Amino acid sequence: MQQQAALQIARPKSALMAIAKPVLTAVLLGAVIVYGVGFSPIAAAHNAAHDTRHVNVFPCH
Amino acid sequence: MLFRRIVLCALLVGALAGLLVSAVQHWQAIPLIAAAEVFEGSTEPAEPTAPLAATAHDHDHDLAHGDAHAHDAAEWAPEDGTERHVWTAIANVLNAIGFGLVLVAAITTWEHLRGRPLASARTGLVWGAAGWICVFGLPTLGLPPELPGSVAAPLGDRQAWWLLAAASGAAGLGLLAFVRGPLRLLGLALIALPFAVGAPHLAGGPFAGYDIGIARQMEALAGPFALATTLATAVQWLALGGLSGWAVARWVRPALADLTPTL
Repeated sequence: MQQQAALQIARPKSALMAIAKPVLTAVLLGAVIVYGVGFSPIAAAHNAAHDTRHVNVFPCH
Repeated sequence: MLFRRIVLCALLVGALAGLLVSAVQHWQAIPLIAAAEVFEGSTEPAEPTAPLAATAHDHDHDLAHGDAHAHDAAEWAPEDGTERHVWTAIANVLNAIGFGLVLVAAITTWEHLRGRPLASARTGLVWGAAGWICVFGLPTLGLPPELPGSVAAPLGDRQAWWLLAAASGAAGLGLLAFVRGPLRLLGLALIALPFAVGAPHLAGGPFAGYDIGIARQMEALAGPFALATTLATAVQWLALGGLSGWAVARWVRPALADLTPTL
């Protein structure tokens, strides 16, 4: 009984830890890509993604 | 393993949603951008004929923003026409992949922590709608869609406010959706926070400095452009959400099943 209770308590935490690294890495990668497309100050990046920035209503020039 | 699946799902989801929104934009928002660019750069009444010729080939935006954004005329830009459309589609796909990574990761976390098979195209639509509210709906309430040529507060200020609106919107919606008890109300406060701070704006409005006739014509484009961007982004986010939910259910779920907690 006691052991089962311990398992129940331990599960949510370990469940989160089990996926934290891949999930956070994916979110970070996504943020970097969106930054590059929508927010990067590099002129070539701005010009290439110009219409995408306007339609997504990212602040642009 | 899990990371690889999330990335592969986001690549697929982003490619499909990005191409879809490129098609939608092509017949609604892009023509409005092109129409506004005819006026862009016509703030100096001293050169009445030059802007038309100039703006057809470059879309540099060294207007009334002063130091905010002065381009070198030599900067590379895609040629108008096919080259520009292709770059726009590439940017749309990349952008959708970026947002897709966040959505797929979020839906994966949700399903895993709840411990039930919740991800589906239908629940994904709700996630997509939430993403649209955070990234388009809330920021747009403070910073309305801008046509090329419109003048606005310094870029850095607007980007910072945009980020604040999107981030506090996401955190606020998260609190409202997943937290029980009084802490939940903090979610509403977070969503309201950027509006208490106030979005940066210039006193003269978006078409200050233009000839009154041109300003009128640009104002007439602003309404349809706001509608076009609202619809295009809604299509993008609903597609992203629905496809992400579907992809998680199909390809990420098996990887989650392998992660039985070890004690």
